[in-house]
Amino acid sequence: MPHPPKLPHRFFRWYCHPRMRDYIEGDLMEVYDRRVKESGKRKADWKFILDVLLLFRPGIIRPRKPYQNLNNYGMYKSYFKIGWRTLLRNKEYAGINIAGLALSITCCIVIFVLVKHHLSFDDFHQNKDRIYRVVTEQHRETVSFTNNVPSPLGAVLRDNHTYGEKVARMFHESNAVISFERNGEKQLIKEPDGFAFAEPAFFEIFNFPLSKGSIETSLTEPNTAILTERLAEKYFGDQNPIGQVITYDNFLPFRITGVLEDLPSNTDIKPEIFVSYVTMKDFNPWLASDEAWGGIMSGMSCYVLFRPDVSSAEVEEAMQPYVKQFRPTSKNVHHYKMQALSDIHFDGKYGGAMEKSDIGILIAIGIFLLLTACVNFVNLATAQALKRSKEVGVRKVLGSFRGQLFWQFIAETAIIATISILVAVLAGYALVPYINDFFSTQIPVNFLADSTLVLFILGLDILITLLAGCYPAFILTGFKPVAALKGKLSFQQLGGFNTRRSLIVTQFAISQVLVIGVIVIMNQMRFAKQADLGFDKSSIVMVKLGGDSLNTMNVLKNEFLRLPGIEKVSLCYQAPSSDDSWNNSIRFGTDPEEVNFLTNMKLADADYISTFDLELLAGRNLTPSDTVREVVVNEAMLQSLGITSYEEALGETVYANGGTMKGQVVGVVRNFHDRSLHEPISAALITTASGMYSNFAIKINGNSVKATMEEIQALWEEQYPDKMFEYSFLDEDIARFYEAEDTLLKGIQFFSFIAIFIGCLGLYGLISFMISQKTKEVGIRKVLGGGVPHIIWLFGQEFVRLILIAFLIAAPIGWWFMSGWLQDFEFKITLDAWTFVVAIGSSLVIAVLTVGYQVLRVAYVNPVRSLKTE
Amino acid sequence: MKDFQLGEFEEIVILTVGILNQSAYSVGIKDEIELRLSRTVSMGALHTALNRLEEKGYLKSHSGESTEERAGRPRRYFEITALGKKAMQHAKDTRDELWSAIPKTLWQANLAGI
Repeated sequence: MPHPPKLPHRFFRWYCHPRMRDYIEGDLMEVYDRRVKESGKRKADWKFILDVLLLFRPGIIRPRKPYQNLNNYGMYKSYFKIGWRTLLRNKEYAGINIAGLALSITCCIVIFVLVKHHLSFDDFHQNKDRIYRVVTEQHRETVSFTNNVPSPLGAVLRDNHTYGEKVARMFHESNAVISFERNGEKQLIKEPDGFAFAEPAFFEIFNFPLSKGSIETSLTEPNTAILTERLAEKYFGDQNPIGQVITYDNFLPFRITGVLEDLPSNTDIKPEIFVSYVTMKDFNPWLASDEAWGGIMSGMSCYVLFRPDVSSAEVEEAMQPYVKQFRPTSKNVHHYKMQALSDIHFDGKYGGAMEKSDIGILIAIGIFLLLTACVNFVNLATAQALKRSKEVGVRKVLGSFRGQLFWQFIAETAIIATISILVAVLAGYALVPYINDFFSTQIPVNFLADSTLVLFILGLDILITLLAGCYPAFILTGFKPVAALKGKLSFQQLGGFNTRRSLIVTQFAISQVLVIGVIVIMNQMRFAKQADLGFDKSSIVMVKLGGDSLNTMNVLKNEFLRLPGIEKVSLCYQAPSSDDSWNNSIRFGTDPEEVNFLTNMKLADADYISTFDLELLAGRNLTPSDTVREVVVNEAMLQSLGITSYEEALGETVYANGGTMKGQVVGVVRNFHDRSLHEPISAALITTASGMYSNFAIKINGNSVKATMEEIQALWEEQYPDKMFEYSFLDEDIARFYEAEDTLLKGIQFFSFIAIFIGCLGLYGLISFMISQKTKEVGIRKVLGGGVPHIIWLFGQEFVRLILIAFLIAAPIGWWFMSGWLQDFEFKITLDAWTFVVAIGSSLVIAVLTVGYQVLRVAYVNPVRSLKTE
Repeated sequence: MKDFQLGEFEEIVILTVGILNQSAYSVGIKDEIELRLSRTVSMGALHTALNRLEEKGYLKSHSGESTEERAGRPRRYFEITALGKKAMQHAKDTRDELWSAIPKTLWQANLAGI
């Protein structure tokens, strides 16, 4: 029987997978045999060689060494499997670690998103490095800063100099009432962001493209306007907005000539309606003229796109002579400065939303949270280390290298870190709307579409894994296998106590400072909201007047008084306590000189005192009048004047507003707070002056407020059909004085929650560590007669001591910060001992809750078991 | 529904295994394909396909008798598993479905074109 060629045959036997060798060899032989019979040996040999070569392919070739895979994925798989099982076995430990990490990662993600959002402000304009805003430093006795300029400045910069490639002036009027017609019906809408007069060059400097119309022609003629798609849809629905007319405050009509794409959320330019600058002369002739150097109107700004090689310093220098030229006598010396576009968002003194340093603080908080979470993780992980010592021993005996074990424990940390990150991303999603609310930002909610954020999260995952995983992995893999298997490991190998202790003290000190802050702010807020302001603020609604016709006012007032739900109505300029006030220098009595303090002018009719329930201390109420005839003054005014007896003031004459207002003092009222509690009570007078009234103050009797408001609105709109009905409740207005404090309070509450939570994790880590170290000691003590209280105290004293140390650090810091904060208030609570007692008490309670169960479990364990542990 | 992976050559192989019924072994399959489809089949391609089909669970195999022309090496007989039958049916069904979805006019147009 002929044989196939030897060499290819041996080659085949060498490479073929042993599992298939026999079968395929049989096939080869069978075919070879047949071929020999059919076409002779030579041809069969060649075909045999060809077959062998064609069989040399991946599915058939054997692995390099018998029964060994080409990679060690199996090992990695085992790492993850063991890691996962460890997590499931120690659910409590895993849960705490994941919760702690997830919390700090959530904060990190949120902080990252916030910082990125703020850094991206106005970065989408083509020539953003060359765009500047002109701002003004006003040098008087003190220097004040404004982001506005005199209106002619832009024209001068454009006409007399060549620095600017483009110069655009813009005047922003916020809180505008806009009217327009939809389906033949007149609609009124209040736009809080208002509208802006803008020169066409504004849109050549900034990148706000139009979706309809062309910017070259849209804003050149008088009474033309462009608005954003959002507003166009809000106003006109599906109709074509081009050619429609919108009217400002019922007197200034604009024809819409273009539609802007919606403004991005990351711009500081807020108005969504832009109207042609040439229309300004109908709005405010003074502001539109070239002579308006006398003052700076709030809202007037000027933007410049410099030519490429111009520096802001030379422009600032070139602008300086104009101050002398146009404001030769003014004591208010202007210095015009060029502010780069990238600084606009970050310069608080020019109205920027936040300071650069705030960004730094946010980043520092993020890093601090991340580090503490990692350190807590390390604490917990090393406390658990002894549980894994046997496993390490066995693995080492079976031939694991230290490096392999190291990566195994890193992989376990990676599992925990990744789970935490997933939790954190979900939490971040849920939190973004609240963050937007809290910081008044408009960060898009689908922030995972952002590739830098995804990269950041991946980077964070790796960083946390390495930070938190390295030390425990290092400790664990350093166990000597013999000692580990014999259970003779000592805790000396797990690192010292003192670093852990100082960490706990730091964490608790921070949380106690925050708790002190929360308590003080809450008390002060409660005080501010419940304090007796000297007048009645409940159930009073302030309704704006729709016009200045005296007749209509009085008609409406009488109609209001006929409503059953209304107790009292007063026509007035403002409520007793208000952000808006008119402060005037007066002359008193026979003194020809103006007094050296400002008097808050409360212009109101004779019903003011009874509506707000002000208390007359002497004299009588005003008699009804439309002009200034009599005045009622407050105690503070007499005090400022140095008059001690109320009666002495009665009958004296007060001259205000440069003498145009003159009235006799007929009464004295008890002091009332005329501003927030931040301010002292200033001198005030009440007098009738119908030309200045701007509000109805209406006292409603508490029952059917909603129905009464509807009736008020119906009557009002009958009298002022073209106007927008606006009202607010006085107590809410007053609460709004403290908005900043409320925001601060919420922020501190949030951070104290996080600080306490992380502090608890630290405590938990420490107690786990202590317990695993002292198990034997507890056993011996119990055998020798130590009772449960004794054991509890053994652990308790440690924590009481730590918290006391933390308190000793926190109390002075908290006291210092909070008394500084309270300095802002003229009327304030005193910092009492109770605040501090509550702070330390709550820390102790939290500590007991955190460690109590663990300690009790150890204290009650049978000494036989605890002594058997090693 | 579970996705049945069946390549073109694999389909031919598994069909041939079906044709040969109980007596399907590598050389037999090779001969059968070459006979019916008049294409040459290399040993390597066939064995790879058989291995893959077995890995997927469409075929199972058992050792059979050895003969002299095989130099005493055993034959390895293949059988189609239940899963394999399902996969074949699935392949046929999807084909049929596509066929029936072709409009009749396609064929008429072609005829007209001739």
